[in-house]
Amino acid sequence: MLKIDHLTKHYSDTVAVDDLSFEVKPGVVTGFLGPNGSGKSTTMRIILGLDHPTKGRATINGKDYADLKAPLREVGALLDAKAVHPGRTARNHLRALAASNQIRASRVDEVLEFAGIQSVANKKVGGFSLGMSQRLGIAAALLGDPQVLLFDEPVNGLDPEGIRWIREFFRSLANEGRTVFVSSHLMSEMAVSADQIIVIGRGKFITQGSVDDLTATANGTVFVRASDIPRLRSTLESLHGVVNDINDKGLSVAGLTSDAIGRAAFDAGIAVLELTPQRASLETVFMDLTADSVEYGGSTLEPTHDE
Amino acid sequence: MTSKPVTLLSVTKSEWIKFRSVRSTIMGVVVTFVLTLGLGALITVAIRSHWNVADPGTKLTFDAVSTSLGGTLFAQFAVGVIGTLFITSEYSSGSIRTTLAAVPNRTQLALSKIIVLAVSMLVVCEVVCIATFLMGQAIYSGVVPTVSLGSGVVLRSVLLAGVYLTLLAILGFSLGLILRQSAACISVFTSLLLIVPIIIFLLPQSWQDSYSKYEPSALGRAMMSTSPPRLMFGAWTAALLLVVYVVAALAVGMTLLARRDA
Repeated sequence: MLKIDHLTKHYSDTVAVDDLSFEVKPGVVTGFLGPNGSGKSTTMRIILGLDHPTKGRATINGKDYADLKAPLREVGALLDAKAVHPGRTARNHLRALAASNQIRASRVDEVLEFAGIQSVANKKVGGFSLGMSQRLGIAAALLGDPQVLLFDEPVNGLDPEGIRWIREFFRSLANEGRTVFVSSHLMSEMAVSADQIIVIGRGKFITQGSVDDLTATANGTVFVRASDIPRLRSTLESLHGVVNDINDKGLSVAGLTSDAIGRAAFDAGIAVLELTPQRASLETVFMDLTADSVEYGGSTLEPTHDE
Repeated sequence: MTSKPVTLLSVTKSEWIKFRSVRSTIMGVVVTFVLTLGLGALITVAIRSHWNVADPGTKLTFDAVSTSLGGTLFAQFAVGVIGTLFITSEYSSGSIRTTLAAVPNRTQLALSKIIVLAVSMLVVCEVVCIATFLMGQAIYSGVVPTVSLGSGVVLRSVLLAGVYLTLLAILGFSLGLILRQSAACISVFTSLLLIVPIIIFLLPQSWQDSYSKYEPSALGRAMMSTSPPRLMFGAWTAALLLVVYVVAALAVGMTLLARRDA
């Protein structure tokens, strides 16, 4: 299990991680979601003991990373797939890593085969595509057969077949009871690959929960079609619903549940023809949650009016 | 599962695989051989062909060991680059993060790299220095007075030439720990060996006489000379002083490695 406890990291004048606390449990895929620059990579680097926290701790099964006797046997990580010496072959890269943690040499061929890169094992890594590098990174993460796995933006650069492969891979790791922690800035990706999601923005914890939890808490709207739209509109507005016309066909209602709308229409003697809750997508939820914490947000350009 | 821990020995094995599995190391060793042997051949052939017209003073102070090993003054840049790249390539490629995730104890990592670098460079540099010395004496023989490794002082000078090159490789590594960028390290390394002597040369004569013996390259010349040249340290004192320089640079580099974010 992975525990982040009041973690804070300052770089000269910026706060990358701000009093962040959460736990990542085994047996499920946990997504780590936040806009670019929100502190995901910094948090992962601190977990691996690469960056020193300003305050707080990150522990693996209760221990600091630096205190792990053979770290590759406990934690497998893929931070940056291209961070391999370009002049070394894939096999030598893995052999050196295995030797450092006293992992048997035959394990190198096993992980190369699992990752599907055995045919290029004796080629220099500098010539690898990003997808092949990602697979090499996954092979390295699996070398020590660790119980905790961290992946920073793993689907970047993968083709659709690779993305499907990696999703199934995360799922199978979690099903084996391992702790799987995957960062991404793509909510659509997390919606399909993660069970639990932790959302951060500007280094701060925003929310945590299952995909269903997160979408359920969002303010969804209800679409309603009825026999007498103007009267239904005034009825719902008297109940403090926020009502918008949709192409004269029906109403979009916010602030009232579908149950309340149905009862109000019945009481007013209006026939309801359609009543559909509009579920907020995880994407919408994410945008709402992190709207205030996007470091490099674009805005809409106003058209120029030339005289 | 029986979990074997990360040890100094296991990290040293890992670093040995890394050291010899990149082309820059192999090329560096080849360049070291070519420069030391090639320039050694040029210098000794030139001395042999001019020996009969050389003045008696030159003949009197002639050192058959240090002249035959003159190529080391160029090979020192090749070994410095080998040492530098052993650590800076980890930073330029980003693989330092993978390395430190596997070996969180940074002192252990640095010590392992130093062991690999020191042992392998000592073997390479002693082989190249002995070979160059023997080649030089063969070229001298018959015309220029030669010496043999049977003499203690000759053996010491030849072996210390290899030690000098090994220490410079470790100095290059220390600069790599401190600066983390290949280009910056190689500039500083070259400046230390070439520019500092020029600056000292521009100082008043009395300062030159007092300080030029402290330059790393002057220490090298003292280490590989059979008798101490004028105004220089003795061979062992020079060797000790160079060790002090290297250990000081390593101490700074290892402290920074431990403290900085990777």
